Amino acid sequence: MSSDTTGVLPREGVAVSGVRAALLQKRTRLGEHAYTVVRWGGAAVFAAVVVALLISVAGSSSQALTRSGVGFLWSGTWNPAAGEYGAGILVVGTLLTTAVAMVIVVPIGLGTAAFLSELAPGWLAGPLSTLIGLLAAVPSIVVGLWGLIVLTPIFANQVEPFLASMPLLGWLFRGEAYGPSVLLASVVLAVMTLPTMVALSRTALAAVPVADREAALALGATRWQAVRKAVIPAARSGIQAAVTLAVGRAMGESIAVAMVIGNRPALPTSLTAPGATLGSAIVNQFAEASPGLGTSSVIALGAVLLLLTVAVNAGGQALLRSGGGHRAGTAGALR
Amino acid sequence: MITLSGTRGRKNTLVGLSALALVSVIAACGSASGGGSTPAASATASPCASNTVLSATCDTKTQAAVTLTGAGANSIEPFFETVFYGYNQKNSQTTVNYSPAGSSVGVSDIQQGTVNFGDSEIPMTSSQLAAATGGTVLQIPVDLGGVAISYNVPGAPANLKLDGSTLAGIFDGSITNWDSPLIAAVSGVSNLPNLAIKAVHRADASGPGYDLDQYLIDTAPAWVTAIGTSTPSRTWPLATVGIGEQLNTGVATYVSQTSGSVGFVEYGYALQNGFVNAAILDAAGAYVAPTEASIALAGAQATSLSSTNFNVVNETGAGVYPLANFSWTLVYQKQSETTTAIALGKLLDWVVTTGQQDAAALGYAPLPANVASLAQKTILEIEGSTGTPLFSS
Amino acid sequence: MTVASALSRRGLVRAAAQRSLTRRRITGRLAQALCAVAAVASVAPLVALLYYTISRGAQVLSWSFLVNAPTPPGIPGGGISTAITGSAEIVGLALVIAIPIALLAALFLFERSGRLAAALRFSADVLAGVPSIIIGIFAYALLVLPLHAFSNLAAAFALAVLMLPIMIRADEEAMRTIALDLWEAGIALGARRGRVARSVVLRGALPDLVTGNLLAIARAVGETAPLLFTLATPVAAMTLLIYTDGTQAFPIAQETAWGTALVLLAFVLLLSVAAKIAAWRISRRAR
Repeated sequence: MSSDTTGVLPREGVAVSGVRAALLQKRTRLGEHAYTVVRWGGAAVFAAVVVALLISVAGSSSQALTRSGVGFLWSGTWNPAAGEYGAGILVVGTLLTTAVAMVIVVPIGLGTAAFLSELAPGWLAGPLSTLIGLLAAVPSIVVGLWGLIVLTPIFANQVEPFLASMPLLGWLFRGEAYGPSVLLASVVLAVMTLPTMVALSRTALAAVPVADREAALALGATRWQAVRKAVIPAARSGIQAAVTLAVGRAMGESIAVAMVIGNRPALPTSLTAPGATLGSAIVNQFAEASPGLGTSSVIALGAVLLLLTVAVNAGGQALLRSGGGHRAGTAGALR
Repeated sequence: MITLSGTRGRKNTLVGLSALALVSVIAACGSASGGGSTPAASATASPCASNTVLSATCDTKTQAAVTLTGAGANSIEPFFETVFYGYNQKNSQTTVNYSPAGSSVGVSDIQQGTVNFGDSEIPMTSSQLAAATGGTVLQIPVDLGGVAISYNVPGAPANLKLDGSTLAGIFDGSITNWDSPLIAAVSGVSNLPNLAIKAVHRADASGPGYDLDQYLIDTAPAWVTAIGTSTPSRTWPLATVGIGEQLNTGVATYVSQTSGSVGFVEYGYALQNGFVNAAILDAAGAYVAPTEASIALAGAQATSLSSTNFNVVNETGAGVYPLANFSWTLVYQKQSETTTAIALGKLLDWVVTTGQQDAAALGYAPLPANVASLAQKTILEIEGSTGTPLFSS
Repeated sequence: MTVASALSRRGLVRAAAQRSLTRRRITGRLAQALCAVAAVASVAPLVALLYYTISRGAQVLSWSFLVNAPTPPGIPGGGISTAITGSAEIVGLALVIAIPIALLAALFLFERSGRLAAALRFSADVLAGVPSIIIGIFAYALLVLPLHAFSNLAAAFALAVLMLPIMIRADEEAMRTIALDLWEAGIALGARRGRVARSVVLRGALPDLVTGNLLAIARAVGETAPLLFTLATPVAAMTLLIYTDGTQAFPIAQETAWGTALVLLAFVLLLSVAAKIAAWRISRRAR
């Protein structure tokens, strides 16, 4: 991002005055070192926490994993009553609900962020974004209860039959409409991850220098084209961070999902069938699991989720690297 | 059964009855008691003078301020909350905190000595007991609850008669509609609507699930075939049929708002929400609906109750409700601090005697006389820091 | 090229541009309308949730609800005072732990590139996906079992671990909104690195830092599972009280739960507004 030299804009203005202030301080060797040490310290503490967590999870889940072997990861039966612990179906459920949730959240979240940062009047954007951020604070038990009490009947009686009756896509939603289902869980996940997507995307969009927008407009782009071709691509890294965090939240959510997914550890036959995810299985099992193999298996599910998150993140990064070669700039505005 | 406030004469009779066994205990009390109280516990002095007498009047007289912590099953939380609050009103010296993180955490916490007491819907197994770091764990039955089979079928009568095979058919998916002839045959109701059955079970491991599983194993061979085992489990064994919901709330909410649904909840929950409950076939051949009385009768059949023989499902007897279970509190026999031990013993004695009055309002049945005395006997085994039993009654 | 053909060519181009403009205007208007619809769709769940929460919990709200100690269901006069103070204490402690570490780690990621930074960023992304119940079990194993006691510190630690990955990533992205030239300018002109970090990066990115941190704080305030394993009693924190009371059968317990949820949301709203005002004022003063 290059700074604009034609006049000092508010954001840059703050930083420039900071530079002025910084120069008034003498640069000492000791001060220099102190900062570097402290900064390394902060990073090291975080790294230590991550390592400690990984060790703790690995240790607690070792009993279950050594018993079942690597097959735990993809074995298809999750039946703690019979002592059968296999995470395969739960992995499928997690990926499915997260994918559907992201299909809902990414367009809506990005559209909202674009609205808030580009298209909305100033007096509206601030309060509106604070309100959407408030959604992040709703406890997951509250969202779960609301989903169970309010959304489930609506889905069972209206939404799911309607979707099943659609001409082409209806096939995705066939089957008995219980209410709690993969679809409902995805919608609830979308509601919970929306604030993250909106807030971080908005930050990213708002940070694109005004110059980029003006350049696009000067070349004859409409306002929307400027946003789509000049602003959004420039905000790429921030939007990626937003999506990554939203995916992470969706994959790990447990209580709210457990209340609306129907908790059926079988491959969902359609989007309106009940399902189960790693998060929901963890929260269902942990409280009353028999200490020993039971609790170990539950934490082993946590380990599987960690691995899955690693895989999804790595896959996402690879995807973005391969597809990100072409950088659309203002040149594409007139297309 | 020991009543709330007996007369002094009645107190004397009780002391006299247990005097033989407890003379040595009283002597030990005098030296072990940390409160500096006088050791004499004769019939003429104040019965609570020795700080280690357990009785309805003495339970609220502790001399040191103590905070006790416990952790365990979520299901007993309402009862504990009410009883501990009431106890604190009467005895402000003792504050009790209870964390409803689940039986598993409760067992783990007591094994590690993180809490003063734990609570579990099912007593600890021998391997769990072996892993306890503080020695022997005493397991005390503290409440008696039942499991209601609640249903939401418009037009169906209350207390629909159901037996083991029908319930097994509903929960294993072989009976799919309320107008099935199998249901009509057992219930005697032939005009049930043509409505798909939506069976909801507990997604999380639970005591009610364990009870129903045990009942179905006992009464329905088809169920044993379907689940492939005859050992009951707290995790619902056939989770691929129907819907699983979290906690009593999840099941209750789903049943209350979904036509054609049927699920199992704790009786207290069904009572509070005004659910319609099925009358279940008991071992004596009668169909019994869940009420406080029928659940109490189930508990009363537990004449040889112990932590290894704790099953009260499908007991024989007239008017006995087949789906009942006790909840078990776990404490170490040997307590390292005497003041804590005294507070703990008195609290638990209160819970199993006076505190049972709170049980009824919450949908539990009060502990039957035989179980209450078993509980009290177990509490008497608590030892102070000297390693000898601390209390007298 | 003849004059005539040049003129006709220009006319063709102008006509094409005119058509293109109309088409682009229509698409643009449509897209803007869709964005507005998206914004409405984003706010709708919150409105629906708020409406439902208010309808369930409003009747229990009162001054005594906020200042009285809790009582069991059936005993009147109870409130949630211990839960409010407990939550404030736990969240405050968690912030004291998390904010400095997150800022320093984010500065690390911002100022350095290379494999170490990439690994750190990747691990933050992965940690953001860990279910809060696993973090609760981690805090339980680390701080409850060895010390044989529940504590607010253990709960605060669990919440801090939960917040850290979100804060780090959001902080880093906020810092990236600052023009890199300015940072380089500060360094090149001889200012201390730490001073540049403080005056240029942090001050400049302050509004976005606040937004990102508020997001993490909001998330942490609403978490139940980490508190379940680390606190001694449900009345020690608001979310735990919501979980315990909301899953009981008694109407009064459920009303208390929803009322507590309202108080929680108000708490977060106040925090958000206060933080944003503070950030705005600091930015203004710096100009």
